[in-house]
Formats: sequence, C-alpha cells, structure tokens
Amino acid sequence: MLAALLAVAGCKRDDVKVYQVAKEDSTPAPSPQLQFALPPGWQQAAPGQMRAASFTVTGASGQTADVGVIPLPAGENELDILNMWRDQVQLPPATNVDSQPISVGNDSAKLFDVAGITPLAGEKFPKRILVAELTKGATSWFFKMTGAAPFIAEQKETFLQFLKSVSFVEASAPPMMAAATPSSAQAINPAVYSIWTIPENWQTVAPSSEMLFAEFALTNASGAKAGVNVAALAGTGGGLEGNVTRWRGQLGLPPIAEIISSSFDVTGGKAQLVDYSGTNAKTGQPARLIGVIVPQAGQTWFYKLMGDDQVVAAQREAFIKFIQSAKYPDAH
Amino acid sequence: MLIKKIIGFFTSLRLTVVLLAFAIVLVFIGTLAQVDEGLYNAQARYFRQWLIFGLDLFGHKIPIILPGGYLIGTLMLVNLIFAHVYRFQLSVKKIGIQLAHSGVILLLVGQLVTDMFAHESQIRFVEGETKSYAESSLDFELAFTTDAGANAEQVITIPQKRLAAGGEIGDPHLPFTIRVKSYWKNSEPGFRAPMAQNAPPATTNGVAKDFDFSPAAEIKKMDDKNEPTALIEIVGPNGSLGNWIVSGWTADTGMIESVQQTYQRMAGADLARQIVHKLTQPQFISVNGKKFTFALRPERNYLPFSLTLLKATHTVYDGTDIPKDFRSRVQLKNPQTGENRETEIYMNAPLRYAGLTFYQYQMTAGQMAEQAGATPESVLQVVHNPGWLTPYLGCAMVAAGLVWQFLFHLAGFITKRKTK
Repeated sequence: MLAALLAVAGCKRDDVKVYQVAKEDSTPAPSPQLQFALPPGWQQAAPGQMRAASFTVTGASGQTADVGVIPLPAGENELDILNMWRDQVQLPPATNVDSQPISVGNDSAKLFDVAGITPLAGEKFPKRILVAELTKGATSWFFKMTGAAPFIAEQKETFLQFLKSVSFVEASAPPMMAAATPSSAQAINPAVYSIWTIPENWQTVAPSSEMLFAEFALTNASGAKAGVNVAALAGTGGGLEGNVTRWRGQLGLPPIAEIISSSFDVTGGKAQLVDYSGTNAKTGQPARLIGVIVPQAGQTWFYKLMGDDQVVAAQREAFIKFIQSAKYPDAH
Repeated sequence: MLIKKIIGFFTSLRLTVVLLAFAIVLVFIGTLAQVDEGLYNAQARYFRQWLIFGLDLFGHKIPIILPGGYLIGTLMLVNLIFAHVYRFQLSVKKIGIQLAHSGVILLLVGQLVTDMFAHESQIRFVEGETKSYAESSLDFELAFTTDAGANAEQVITIPQKRLAAGGEIGDPHLPFTIRVKSYWKNSEPGFRAPMAQNAPPATTNGVAKDFDFSPAAEIKKMDDKNEPTALIEIVGPNGSLGNWIVSGWTADTGMIESVQQTYQRMAGADLARQIVHKLTQPQFISVNGKKFTFALRPERNYLPFSLTLLKATHTVYDGTDIPKDFRSRVQLKNPQTGENRETEIYMNAPLRYAGLTFYQYQMTAGQMAEQAGATPESVLQVVHNPGWLTPYLGCAMVAAGLVWQFLFHLAGFITKRKTK
C-alpha cells in the first residue's frame, strides 16, 4: 500500500498538462447603463457614491426633492430596507412589506410609499419617500425620491412618468476596462487641465503619449510653432541628470558633466529650470528647449517648452507663470 | 534466522523509543528552522524528506545526518504494523490496545495520504464574477492558450519547476520549443518610466518594453509570496520567435492590485491604472497561423462547475474595526448535473462539494472597502484532501481504545477488591 501511494504521488506535478476549457470570461458582468427621459424641472446631479444617477427636483416656489438611482445586489432583505426608510421619516419599524405593483420601463416593479407623520426637527412638513424597486438579474435597482410630503405628492405623477421612461442599455465593457484603455488616456480630460491657469494663446491638445499629463500647442503670428508638455512621475522620475541628458538628446546635444540650472519659486518649493538650444533630433530644425522640474509630494512634475527659438523666447515668461499657477492634486 | 532477526528488529519496543526520540529532535529542529527558513521551506527540508544532510540553525551549519520526517514516519508505521501482526491476540483484555494502535496507524497513513494528495488553492473573485478554476497560492505555471473552436480554448501548461530546471522544453501540442535563458524564483518589477534613465530592456518584446524585472531575495514568510520571472526564447519551426519575459507579476490578480496601489500612492490613480494596464497586456505569438497567448500565472486547477460571487458581506462589531462576520453568497452551477443553487460560505461553515472544501479565507468588502472605492472581493480557500476524515477517525479509535482499556482494568480491579 505504501509503495503504491509513493508511486502514484511520485509522478505528481512536473508534467506538461493539456486542457480543453471554455473560453475565459472572468471579467465581471458590466452593469447596464441607464437611459431615461429627464422630466422638466429635474436636474441631473453628480451621482455620488453608491448611486448610478442623481437628480434634483425644484418646484415653482423653490421646494426641492432628491432623486437617486441605487443599484444593489439582489437578495437583500426587503423588510430591512423598508424599515431603514421608515426610520428616515421617523416611523416605527413595520412587520410586513407593503408595496404596489408599478412599471419601470417595460419591466414590472414594486413601489414603496413611506410617508412620515410628524415633521423632522427644524422642518415644516413631514418627510416622504417614494421608492421603486426593480430586480434585473443579480441587481436590484432602487429609484428613490425623497422630500417634503406636500411636494412629493405633487411630484409623484412626474416620478412615475420618469420610471416609465427608464431603459437599460448593456454596457460594452466594464467601466474599469474602459478607463484603462490607452485611447481614453489620450482624450483631453478637463479635470487635469483645471489645475493650471492656462495662458490665453495656448491651445490644449490631446496628449500624444500615454505618459503625458497634458499637452499644449503654441503658434506665433508668423506661423512658427512650439509645444508644451507636462508629465508627472513617481519619486524623482529619473532625477535632474537623467532628464537633462534626455532633453539634450532631443536637441542632438551630448550629455554634460555639470548641469547649470536656475531656480524659481513654486507652490510648496522650488523649481529647477534648464535652457538649451540645438537641433530638434526628430525634425532636423533648429530648436530651443526649456525644461522645468518640480518636485511635489512624492512625485516629480516635468514641464517642457520646446520648438522654434522665437516662440520659445516669447513664451518663456508665460511658461513660468503657467508652472507657478499649478495647484497640484494630492499624490494619494 | 535472518528473517527472525528482521522481525525482531521491526517488532522491538526499542525501535519505537529510538524513533520517538528522533521525532522529538526533528520537531524541535524543524520548529527552530522556521525562524530563518519559513514554514514551507522548513516543512520541505526537514519533514518531507527521507534523510537530512546537514542543518542550518541561526546562521550556523551543523554537519550531521538525520532521518527525515518520511523515514521516521514510515519506520514507525512498519514498527506498529509488525508489532500489531506478531503480538496480536484476539482477547477482550487486549482489544483496547489493538484499537488504540489501529488508530495510531490510521493517523500515520492519513497523514501520509494528506501529505501526498492534499492540494490547496484559492478562488479570488469580485462581486458578479464567475470562476470555474482555483489558483495555487504558491506555484506558478507557464500557460499557452490557443483557440479550439467555438467557445473553447486549449491550454497547455508547463509547471514552474520545469522552468526552474532550465534547458529546452517542448511538447507535441506546441509547434515550438521554449528555451529558458534565466529564471528567478522571486522578482521585483520596475516600471521603465520614459523620463528615467533606463538600461536597455531585457528584450524588446511584450511587457519587457515597459517593465524591468530584477531578481529578488526568496521570501520565506507565510504572509508574503514569491513572484517568479523567466526570460525565455521561443523557437518555432522556422527559427527564433524572439526572447520574452514571462512573470508572475503580470497575471497574479492579488499582486497586480498591490502594484496598482503602490503606483497610485506615488503617481496618482490615473497613471497607476495606465501602468498596470501596460503590465497586464497579454503577450502572444503566432505560429503557422495559430495564435498562442502566454503568461506565467498562478497554477490553475480547473473545476467541472462554476461559482459566482453574488455578495460579499464583511461586518464588524459596532464601533470597532474588529471583524464579526465574513460571508460570501455564491451561486453554484454544474452543467454536468444541471445543478444550480445558491449557498453561503462563512466562518466555520465551508461549502463541501465534489470532494473539495471551500472555506471563507479573505475579504475586501464592507464599509472600509466601500470608502476606498473598491469592488467587494472575496477569496475562498479550496482544499482537496482525500484523507480529511482520517484524523477524526484515528483519534476516535485511540480514545475508544484507551477508554476500553481503562474501564477493563478498572472493572478487574474492582472485582479483585470485592473478592478480597
């Protein structure tokens, strides 16, 4: 028996193995995207955490209600959820779930109407919550409208109309995947550019490389061109020497042993500036390059102004002001 | 005469005592060795061994030859069986001792079965994800995947050990051979930032364009792991298809997450996502019009059924961070049996299915994960142990045998006193 055990186990796991398996699809099922007709008087707001969509409803005399669409994994205890809402309007917990059938788009759903009796502290009217629950696959979608009872009563019909207009479109890729593709990285992201005050005659262009944070095109009256690009890298990002060597390489200049740089003040520290003239290694045209290195909270920002000597000379001051205007996002 | 001597040797109580003494010494040495070598290495070096040549304790080499765990266990088993067979008496007086001995034999055999056949792996999935394989937490395999008709793929895997051995690896299913040029049991990835002054890449193919991998010291702690990297050359029928870097870092989900977190801290979320995207790009080659995607990934154990994580719940005691409950709601689908059901896996309530046990192991869910913007994730420990019942049975037999023996003697003692 012992020998048999040893023999079987001996040929354990050093062999090449061949399997036939189903095509892999281990990415999470993309959540479908919401489509709807926005009723008049409704304004779409930032969805915030947990929510797929948010709306603010404003009445004629300034009353407001909040509408949120919250996807949750199906199978939550309905009574627990209902009692959470009852608690929000200061009603005692219920012992059974009371709902009416309605339709969300073409699907049948349940409507919960939770109306408070007494106004909450500091409020004039009691609070009321309308919630439609639609279960689709492994997800329960909650459409929730919250506000003062008289205003909710007024808006109930609009809310039900809104629910009827809802449809789901299957997303083609999960959001994480979409964000990770290089193409999206090359689109202009307004949030990125908002950290600077951008000089008027600078034109924002889509970054030509994934590694660039931002890119600008500059042209003077006679059509001469230069470009500004910005990159942020972890740590020292290769240090002064490495980057100066790289920049000099772009101008066809050899590395130098001693780097002479000037410095100027920026938010939270000093920036180092180098200025070289040579020949653009890519185009063969004479070019000037001003490179600036800004160390900032665990990362290093690299700014480069490069192009026609006249444009670079004319934009030098604007370039420095642009760098000084930066409000860096936290490096977390 | 000789046979008698052999029988005498194997049935002797002296042998038992000597073996027990060696076992004590071995357990002592093995426990000390864990400090420097870690649990897995100490187990492999001292317990899963027939003979031990030389010890390394606290940085000192001790030249000594000792019997290893396998040898001691096997001799103990033989000793017990011989004693059992040659001294066996079917009498009420001895039945307790027989039972206890049988229990010990079962424990030894069970441990051997566990050691040889037990296999542990993990399933890591986020909510909504379906997995039909478990992954090893220690071993890797170089997997080549190619199309095999509608909705099927053929996977050819080469275990890490073969890469470690070096040389040339071929298989009739592969229209090329693999030459291992270098192999590191543990490695460190470094992003080749365009701004930094990089040395020339190990190869200009695939992931090596954007990442340098360097050898790292072998990890011996249990809560950390080795990520191997190899430089291989793929040689097709018409010559070389280039050098490629294959690394555990590109396909080990848990470690990829940690890479992303590291770069996120250093360079922000956007850049971290881009860097990780570059790291996890699939590498492939085409030979005779057939595309082979390849990766050095955690060793997979394919299951004939699938599990979908429906919900991961992590609750804490109110007002503290102390976990109260980890719970995974999973859907089990078996196309062979038509089974399709939901079940919950939580502490002390594993799922036992198809000879496997699924324990709740790790979890990223609950309020903290929500605040960090993480998708709830659960990790199940998948244990395949054909000998899992033997310790329970063995201990029960030993206990019953001892109780019987004790009661028998007690009864004899009492009757003796009465007759007096």
